[in-house]
Amino acid sequence: MSTEEVTIALDGVGKTFGGEEGVRALQNISCQIFDREFVAVLGPSGCGKSTMLRIIGGLIPHEEGTATVLGKPVRGPSDDIGIVFQRANLLPWRTVEGNLRLGVEESNIPTEELREQVQTMVEMLGLTGFEKSHPHELSGGMRRRVAIGQALMRNPRVMLMDEPFGALDALTRDRLNVELLRIWQAERKTVVLVTHSISEAVFLSDRVLVMSERPGRIIEEVRIDLPRPRDPKTLPEVPEFGQYRVQLGELMGVV
Amino acid sequence: MKINRNIIDPFVFFLVLGLLWEFSVELFDVRAYLLPSLTDIFRETWEFRELLLEQAMVTLEEVLFGFIFAAVFGVVISAAIFFVPIARRTIYPLIIGLQSIPKVALAPIIVVWFGYGLPSKVVMAFLFAFFPIVISTLGGLSATPDRLVEHFQALKTSGWNTFWKLRAPSALPNFVDGCKVAMPLAVIGAVVGEFVGSNDGLGNLIQTATGSAQTALMFSALLVVTGLSLILFFMIELLGRLVWWRAM
Repeated sequence: MSTEEVTIALDGVGKTFGGEEGVRALQNISCQIFDREFVAVLGPSGCGKSTMLRIIGGLIPHEEGTATVLGKPVRGPSDDIGIVFQRANLLPWRTVEGNLRLGVEESNIPTEELREQVQTMVEMLGLTGFEKSHPHELSGGMRRRVAIGQALMRNPRVMLMDEPFGALDALTRDRLNVELLRIWQAERKTVVLVTHSISEAVFLSDRVLVMSERPGRIIEEVRIDLPRPRDPKTLPEVPEFGQYRVQLGELMGVV
Repeated sequence: MKINRNIIDPFVFFLVLGLLWEFSVELFDVRAYLLPSLTDIFRETWEFRELLLEQAMVTLEEVLFGFIFAAVFGVVISAAIFFVPIARRTIYPLIIGLQSIPKVALAPIIVVWFGYGLPSKVVMAFLFAFFPIVISTLGGLSATPDRLVEHFQALKTSGWNTFWKLRAPSALPNFVDGCKVAMPLAVIGAVVGEFVGSNDGLGNLIQTATGSAQTALMFSALLVVTGLSLILFFMIELLGRLVWWRAM
């Protein structure tokens, strides 16, 4: 692939928390993520995959190596990047609309236009009728949708997602994954999704980066050559799906 | 009809206490200047209703001014302590130190400094109400979850907007809690101020009535102070319902 297609590039990134004697979180992380690619970062709990995401997102500094996003070195949060965290992080005193609006209120969009954008987002997320609801009136799955919508409202080129559906039940999780694919296909973003679920990684991504236990290193890169659009009902019956799962399971030491 | 025990139980309890008071005074023939019967107190309250209301208005004014100053100044000071490191190292210990002074002991000098009128009582009410508001607001500001602060960073929200859209609303419930503690304290502050030097107010009335052996009137004034304090507390409670959230 040509270099201008590279959206995210990490080169020898290392991170230690708490000084010299501290906890070594990441070790020599190098990878390239390409434009409009859906990449899953798969690893055991505490392997530093969230840390890697935060470094790309400019939320925490790194001591070693270089991180570039869209050709620019990462120096703090960027408008090109939207982050969806493990928790939905909605403001309890704001309605769905208010929470969706939160990230674009400083950009001086005319009121009427902003209202329309919010309405379009509400429809895309399937939250029509819940515009005026507060987070405590929503189900866990709906809150995650609002969180994703809030990041999308800023129209970033890159979406970083840190186990966004981790705390949900399996059924809701599957449904949101399907929606995520639909949104990704419609919006044509580059997505990096951190997960510890093998099937989620295989179902969603073009490529899986497998990380080791702490200090986190990328031990393998697996290309997922499964046709799109992917259907959660039929995909598990495709033999390659099972093969990828076994392959990734072996890499993670669970099989 | 279903009996609501939450209303019936305290009602019956207080009724029994009241009857006990009433009949003990009769039974043991307690003299009225020592302890008047409840009916005497109610009769006296009705008889002096205009005086009591007039004096209550004086005290109310002192309390409200003192409380409002405490709320405004308390919020400003706690924000300063929270955001300005030098204020945390200087003003915070100063406030803790000042809080440890028994404020009742300050009342005489406050009257000397601010005179017999309204200002000295406002200052006393302020001094009593200020501390709980600062401490609770400070707690609210510090309790904003880190993950929400990080979330605002990711959204590239300015510091100013992070304050108004995140920290201030997160701290509001704690601020209201502080106000609930501070309001009755402001009443105490004003009454103490009136005790020490005043020609007006319920505190002054309590003192003069006691001095002239009008014990029933003293109890009437006490009743009105208590009522005033309760009404003000419940007003805060009602306003506080607008702040129904706790940062999740």
